[in-house]
Amino acid sequence: MELHQVRYFVALCRTLNFTRAAAECDVTQPALTRAIQRLEEEVGGPLLFRERNMTQLTPLGRAMVPHLQAMLTAAATARRIADEELGRQQTVLRVGLGPAIAAARVADVVGRLVRFCPELSVRFEEAGAPALVEEMLSDMLDCALLPDGPDLPDRLHRWKLWEEGCVVVLPGGHPLALRGSLTADELAGETLLVGERCGGFALKLTEANPRALTVRRCGGSWVQMQDLVAAGLGLALLPDALGIGAGLVSRPLTQPRLRRSVLLTLVAGRPQGLAVANFVKLCRARAFA
Amino acid sequence: MPRLRDELESQRGMMPEEVRLAYEAMVGELQRTGFIAQALQIGDRFPDLVLPNAEGDLVSIGGLLQSGPLVVTFFRGEWCPYCSVTLDALAAALPEFQAAGAALVAITPETGGRALLAKQNHQAGFEVLSDVDCGVGLSCGVVFRTPEPYRLLLEKFGTDLAERHGNTAWFLPVPATFVIDRTGVVRWRFVTVDFTERAEPAAILAALHALAASDD
Repeated sequence: MELHQVRYFVALCRTLNFTRAAAECDVTQPALTRAIQRLEEEVGGPLLFRERNMTQLTPLGRAMVPHLQAMLTAAATARRIADEELGRQQTVLRVGLGPAIAAARVADVVGRLVRFCPELSVRFEEAGAPALVEEMLSDMLDCALLPDGPDLPDRLHRWKLWEEGCVVVLPGGHPLALRGSLTADELAGETLLVGERCGGFALKLTEANPRALTVRRCGGSWVQMQDLVAAGLGLALLPDALGIGAGLVSRPLTQPRLRRSVLLTLVAGRPQGLAVANFVKLCRARAFA
Repeated sequence: MPRLRDELESQRGMMPEEVRLAYEAMVGELQRTGFIAQALQIGDRFPDLVLPNAEGDLVSIGGLLQSGPLVVTFFRGEWCPYCSVTLDALAAALPEFQAAGAALVAITPETGGRALLAKQNHQAGFEVLSDVDCGVGLSCGVVFRTPEPYRLLLEKFGTDLAERHGNTAWFLPVPATFVIDRTGVVRWRFVTVDFTERAEPAAILAALHALAASDD
């Protein structure tokens, strides 16, 4: 398929009118019609119902739109970042960080992006998943790293970036720190800190073992939770990808084995600035260990 | 220089019967619709594009052209045995391309660190770029939508394009290799809809020598 065919088709999806789409793409209507026919031939079926007064997408057309749109965006944003003709040159990258997801995981990607966009400024925002989704939908954030979950709206594109396991974070002098790994049974009698923004592992474990563990609820982020661990208020269950503060140690929780996936998400169908588009490409292209 | 054609021939001999039928249908359809005519032609300007490389940096075609002519080749992924033997052959031929003053870039729609894996597995001393969502393949006119029967066979044999590409579009590039001069103009090309055929490294080298001779 060719760039112009896809461009005409996407314009036609927007306008549902051959004359207007042709005008928008600055081509004659027969040229646009021929290009669409070629595209239909290639994807193996009609993309549009052509009725006298109405143009509508076929089921195949509807299925193809997001993919062709994504491809077109990828083509446009692969053009040199410094290309002025692309218009609005985004210089701010706004990334949401879901519960217990550290900026450190993507800081390297941002660093590599900055080599191409020296004027780029970056804003990270830590919050719960619902708040970040809301901010993405209202265009206050470009994308967000969120734990996989059933409540993410269909409107979000999502790519799994990495999976992470669970560690028990405890003071270095704690008797359990002598063990190489820990099980839920070994935590019996301990106080577990449970917060809304700490990755959800503690909640999962306490739901499965309601009696064996004493729970202390605490707000705040995973960093503040570690401060509470250091102060002796209890132990924390956190993703193994996070950095551990001074004086603390982490031990893998091996029974049960708790895991979660971290997704890169953004609102489908929204025009992307160059910075976010290339940030997403860099994230999707690589493997996160 | 060993002939890549012989390696490809031996791979073709191992193609399971059901794959061969789906392959013949797919290639036949791409031939019937005149797919090749839409790929970049000799004399066209290769678009100046930016993509992530295997090491996670953004790399621009324009930047690479500053050091000399470029050989750009599209490949489907390491799951494809024809791509695999081609990457080996290109890795072996790289010193000769470099001696001719050129660099080599391989472009794949694969994501999730697979460009780096390909590079490591084939000891490729050249750039391997990840064409996320096939935007560059589209710009070069080398991308097509994999027909369902062939896609289902890929899945049956354990190749999940959705997972590898990070989308469910089922787009793949046809085998395409371009020699681009320093000004960004395509001076030689090998494009086919048959994924069992590839540009012979010796032919690429000859094109680079011809380019050098024409520049003298």
